[in-house]
Amino acid sequence: MKKYLCLGCGFSYDEARGLPEHGLAPGTRWADIPEDWICPDCGTPKSGFEMVEIPYWSQA
Amino acid sequence: MNIRFVLRAGERGFSRLVSTGVNATYVAGHPDGVITRHSSFNFHEYQSGIAGFGHIRVFGDEVFSPGGTGYNMHPHHNFIIAAFVLGGALTHVNTIGKVDELRAGDYYVFSAGSGGKHAELNIGQEDLSVIYLWVLPGKLLAPPSYVRSHFDTKVGADRIVCLVGDEAGALPIGQTIKVSRLVTGRSGTPVYRSSPAHGVYVFVLEGEAGIAGTVLGRRDSMALSGEERIEIAARSGTDLLLVETAL
Ligand SMILES: [Fe+2]
Ligand SMILES: [Zn+2]
Repeated sequence: MKKYLCLGCGFSYDEARGLPEHGLAPGTRWADIPEDWICPDCGTPKSGFEMVEIPYWSQA
Repeated sequence: MNIRFVLRAGERGFSRLVSTGVNATYVAGHPDGVITRHSSFNFHEYQSGIAGFGHIRVFGDEVFSPGGTGYNMHPHHNFIIAAFVLGGALTHVNTIGKVDELRAGDYYVFSAGSGGKHAELNIGQEDLSVIYLWVLPGKLLAPPSYVRSHFDTKVGADRIVCLVGDEAGALPIGQTIKVSRLVTGRSGTPVYRSSPAHGVYVFVLEGEAGIAGTVLGRRDSMALSGEERIEIAARSGTDLLLVETAL
């Protein structure tokens, strides 16, 4: 399960958590998200996200 | 010495954002309001350059025209955004509850963390010149924070002063990042001491500086890595920023 960060605004997508409020169930793989999907906060295309390996603050 | 790249002023991405048309909700201001942005790294519509360096993702050299021009309130997460005001006055408003005004030498570190909005406005009567630096955070969805400080060019003259990072007197930042500034009143060769495991991005604001055999003029920049000592042969009247980052 990987995490992706929007390089336009910093919005993060976590495959494990999904985005249920935007129709993406927990466990939805990045590769399975449509190519025309855009950042819900700033409209950056999917290609403008970067895979990151940054832990959550709450796990610190 | 490892030179990772040299980026001349004119090779940067360039955007001219107006307050009408597609950007009308993003850019504040009267119909003639304009923001110019020179990007050292890929950002928004500029995607043909360098993706980033270490934790750095955005280094924007921006000018806002007077009279209410800027960015309307918009959301961020995670990114740590720092602004360094070079001239004019920046009005910064954020959802942490801060309304701030920053002038030449003033700078802030805004960590968007679990979510924060901000507006960046020039409500003054002269151009606002500001550098925006975005870095990836050390932790995702941290509590948002805002801190600000001032760099005094008189006190800082001819020595390298740490503005942001894990040093006394500098603003803290939740990442392995250090931002320093050098302003010279005379020519000289100050030495920047870096961790050899880190990279350093050097951006010349004004003047001229020679580093590792490369001469950098106004708004030129370069990235180095693997060096403990970086000698900066700076002319008098030089002003530059150094951003040290883990790689
Ligand atoms: Fe922003
Ligand atoms: Zn976004």
